[in-house]
Amino acid sequence: MIEIRNLVKDYGPIRALNGVSFTVEKGEVVGFLGPNGAGKTTCMKILTGFIAASSGTVTVAGMDVVTHGLEVRRRIGYLPENAPLYTDMTPREYLSFLGSIRGISHQELPDRIQRVALRVGIVPVMDQEIGTLSKGYRQRVGLAQAMIHDPDILVLDEPTSGLDPNQIVEIREVIRDLGQDRTVILSTHNLPEVTATCNRIVLIHKGQVRADGTPDAITARHGGGNTYRLEIQVPEGSPDPRLALGSHPEVAEVTPLEVPGATGRVFRVAAKGEEDLRPSLFRWSVEAGWTLLESRRERLDLEAIFQRLTLS
Amino acid sequence: MRNVISLARREILAYFGSPVAYIAIAVFLLLLGVVFFFRIPFLLPKEDFFEAREATLRPLFEWMVFLFTIILPAISMRLLAEERKLGTLELLLTLPLTETEVVVGKFLGALGFLGVAAALTLPYPLLVLALGSPDPGPLVGGYFGVLLVGAAYLAVGLLTSAWTQSQITAFLTAIALCAALTFVDRLPEAVGLPALEAARMMSFHHHFQSIARGVLDTRDLVFFLSVVVGALALAGHSLESRKWK
Repeated sequence: MIEIRNLVKDYGPIRALNGVSFTVEKGEVVGFLGPNGAGKTTCMKILTGFIAASSGTVTVAGMDVVTHGLEVRRRIGYLPENAPLYTDMTPREYLSFLGSIRGISHQELPDRIQRVALRVGIVPVMDQEIGTLSKGYRQRVGLAQAMIHDPDILVLDEPTSGLDPNQIVEIREVIRDLGQDRTVILSTHNLPEVTATCNRIVLIHKGQVRADGTPDAITARHGGGNTYRLEIQVPEGSPDPRLALGSHPEVAEVTPLEVPGATGRVFRVAAKGEEDLRPSLFRWSVEAGWTLLESRRERLDLEAIFQRLTLS
Repeated sequence: MRNVISLARREILAYFGSPVAYIAIAVFLLLLGVVFFFRIPFLLPKEDFFEAREATLRPLFEWMVFLFTIILPAISMRLLAEERKLGTLELLLTLPLTETEVVVGKFLGALGFLGVAAALTLPYPLLVLALGSPDPGPLVGGYFGVLLVGAAYLAVGLLTSAWTQSQITAFLTAIALCAALTFVDRLPEAVGLPALEAARMMSFHHHFQSIARGVLDTRDLVFFLSVVVGALALAGHSLESRKWK
């Protein structure tokens, strides 16, 4: 549905995007993740045709966003960062203005407006000036605007920024609901949001894709998965288990951990390969005459992965 | 085309849905009334000076042009600068609209304001006509010229509004440009005849006068249309240039 290839964007001397490539299939809800300034917004602006890339291509349903700009924009609903709106209009006026520009007929328009208003939950404020609405309602009006023409693709730049926790939950529900029958790309630096709404993550940092896949696949790939936490009870007089563990052919490094209140001694063991070492570590302990109290494969959660990939 | 009309409609509604349009029109009509009925002579070139003392409509239209150099930039300043400031420009330009459609729609909206403002001045010349000199020629010519100059001012104002996100900057730049383009024919004779002639050819005021005299010369018409088209094209280009910044 969306194919982004080798996207580079320079703002003067600053390179905002440095060879970003990924594709989005029809019906996916993709969370575009990254710290502030990673290039998320730039990428979305290029996708929606607001700015042009310095090099690289973006195609939507096989059409290039530069040469077939109008057709592409017809298929996309876009909520820019901070949901800019005409504050002097009411949501009804605003949606009818955008609907008419989107080419929805005058007969169909009132019905269409009613439907999106219901879906995003702005029915009670339809005739109130947008300038007087709360941030949560404005964000919803922005969402309503993005879907007035029933687009195949929704591009949402930080749809929940600046909302209170209740509003965030509500907007997430709206997005999840929308994602059932269309392709959604949403950017955020908020991790719970991604796990709550997206079935795929593209993590970018310093203008490059650092990770791409389902949340589970990313955790498996970047979450370590090759370190183990062992708690061992060692009989009096036996040699230091560090040495014995270190001599295991698959073990790269052994670090003793100070754990207050632990029954045995606790070690972190880093493996050389990806395969699960727990069976072999168990046998190793038995042969050495230790009692293995706990053996756990450690994985970083998404938050830790995010930090690991973006703090370097 | 429907897009352009939707845009123009939204602009007209925005003007008349807020006090801006009413204040601008009220100030305009008031000032025009004062200078007209108190017969404050306009700074006409020497050869027109005596004519101006007669019961003629000429000073009325001259004053209108002068007041428009201030009123119309105040109307056009928000057209694009405000969109830039609010961030709605991003929304507008990611709709299936071309830059040309955006610019033309906005311009037509502002033209709607000009139409209303000009129509509301009609009682003044009609009063004069009722009191004497019943020649409708200068009336038609005068309005035609005023509308053309006004359209040119709005196009220039739209252009300056495309350059900035500050409405006040757009406003002041437009006044400066409009005033310069209008009164460039009043350069001192010392600049020399060729320069003076060239200045006259570029002057809004010079072309306006020849239309207001009731002589419809296609050259004057072409001049104003070129200014409008040129300024709108530059404004569209300025919007488009965002892509490569």
